[in-house]
Amino acid sequence: MDDASMVGLMGRVTGTIGPGLVGEVIVRVRGGAEHFLAYPASGTDRIERGTVVMVVEYLPPRTVYVQAAYDS
Amino acid sequence: MPMVVGVVAGVAVAAIAVLIGLFKLMWRVAEPNEALIISGSNHKTEGLEAGMGFRIVTGRGTLVLPGVQAVRKLSLDLNETELHVDCVTHQGIPLKVRGVVIFKVGDDFVSIANAGRRFLDQQKLMSERVHNVFAGHLRSIVGGLTVEDMIRDREKLTGQTRAACGTEMEKLGLIVDSLQIHEIEDPTGYIQNLAMPHAAAVQRDARIAQAEANRLATEAEQKSYARMAEATRDSEILQAGYQAERDKAGAKARQAGPLADAAARQEVVVQETRIAELEAHRREQQLQADVRKPADAKAYEKRTLAEAERDAQISGAEAKAKETELAAAAEATRVKTAAMAEAEATKARGTAMAASTRATGEAEAASAQAKGLAEAEAARAKGLAEAEAIKARAAALAENQEAVVAQQLAENWPEIVRAGASAFGNADNMVILNGADGMADMFAKALTMGGTGLGLARQLLASMNQNGQPVNGSSLNGVASPPSQKVPVQE
Repeated sequence: MDDASMVGLMGRVTGTIGPGLVGEVIVRVRGGAEHFLAYPASGTDRIERGTVVMVVEYLPPRTVYVQAAYDS
Repeated sequence: MPMVVGVVAGVAVAAIAVLIGLFKLMWRVAEPNEALIISGSNHKTEGLEAGMGFRIVTGRGTLVLPGVQAVRKLSLDLNETELHVDCVTHQGIPLKVRGVVIFKVGDDFVSIANAGRRFLDQQKLMSERVHNVFAGHLRSIVGGLTVEDMIRDREKLTGQTRAACGTEMEKLGLIVDSLQIHEIEDPTGYIQNLAMPHAAAVQRDARIAQAEANRLATEAEQKSYARMAEATRDSEILQAGYQAERDKAGAKARQAGPLADAAARQEVVVQETRIAELEAHRREQQLQADVRKPADAKAYEKRTLAEAERDAQISGAEAKAKETELAAAAEATRVKTAAMAEAEATKARGTAMAASTRATGEAEAASAQAKGLAEAEAARAKGLAEAEAIKARAAALAENQEAVVAQQLAENWPEIVRAGASAFGNADNMVILNGADGMADMFAKALTMGGTGLGLARQLLASMNQNGQPVNGSSLNGVASPPSQKVPVQE
């Protein structure tokens, strides 16, 4: 398992991501689905639950930075 | 030789068994819910940076040198920790919170390495450690929330949990799957009081709804009772009607027996009456046959006999009278006819003789005159004399004609008389009141009719004679000529 494999994966927001909040995303990885603590890749975004996001940065062990996969 | 072969074979088998045993000792397999942490060798580290000194194997087998490398297992299973924490909320309300934390070792190698370093020998104590960590964190979490939030806002609770514990647990290589608040003990009754207005409102609404429902139910019930009463009334009316019909039918049925008896008795009486009538009739018939018929027959016989006798007598008398009458009539007719025929014959002869005589005389006179004239006048009156002779001859012929007529009348007299008597031919029964005189009168009248016919004939002849002789005076006067005076002769 390498760090690079996490980047670029798609995931779903299960806890609201935003400034001052610790969000949560669930991502398909290692044959299952795991959740990671998530922060917005661009500092001021607020991403509501249910939004599809893409991992742009992975900080081991359980932290990812994400941005919305589709422009709304 | 076979011995050697057996030994070799046995050694080979033993060697294979030893090899298998060694392999078994050296080959370790990581099960899905565990990670093998292998330390003690220098060979390549997998998934981790160099210098770590151990390697992590998950989900597959690996070769381990016994005695050289140490293999430890780290469970990746789910763990849970009960929490009993006294907290104070954001509003400063003391609460006793009971909850549960569900966590596990993270599946990535970093997490496994972190957890391995921290908990490999204390896997049994992991829950306790986590409890201690979470007890403090839960206080901070609850302190950041109000009671209402805790009760109602799960999102906020989980968000706060992540914010407070997420990074903390990352350090331990653990993942918090869930934090559940099971029970909140509220020594001050805050929650109860919090619920009270709503409970009261709910109770009010419930009572209102109950009352409304009761009202509706009562209305429905009363309507239903009214309907039931109506139905009962209708049913009773119908039942009464049917009962009346039943009573009527029953009474009719009860009366049916006596009625039938009476009818039967009546029938019997009628039949008896009929029998009596028939018997009386039969007796009457018998009496008729036995008594009356013979008497009638006898009377009829007597009557018939008497009538026959009487009729016979009457017929005899009538026959006798008729015979007498007919005999008298026949006699009278015969006598009268004979007398008349004689008289007519006599008269006819006389008349014929007179006429002949006169004709002769006239002829002689005429002859003498003619002779005288002829003598007197000679040849000059010859034509005239001849004419006179012709005329005289014609007159003589006329006189002879009258005689012929008279002769014919005389000859036909019996037929004339018979025609007169034929007036009586159709009379079956003639009652003559005056006897023979009456009879004579009747015949005289009948013959008068024939006589009248004769008179007419004579008159005709007379007029012919006058035309033949110059009798101008009588014709000028229009008086009946003398020959018509002869008619009474026939009476």
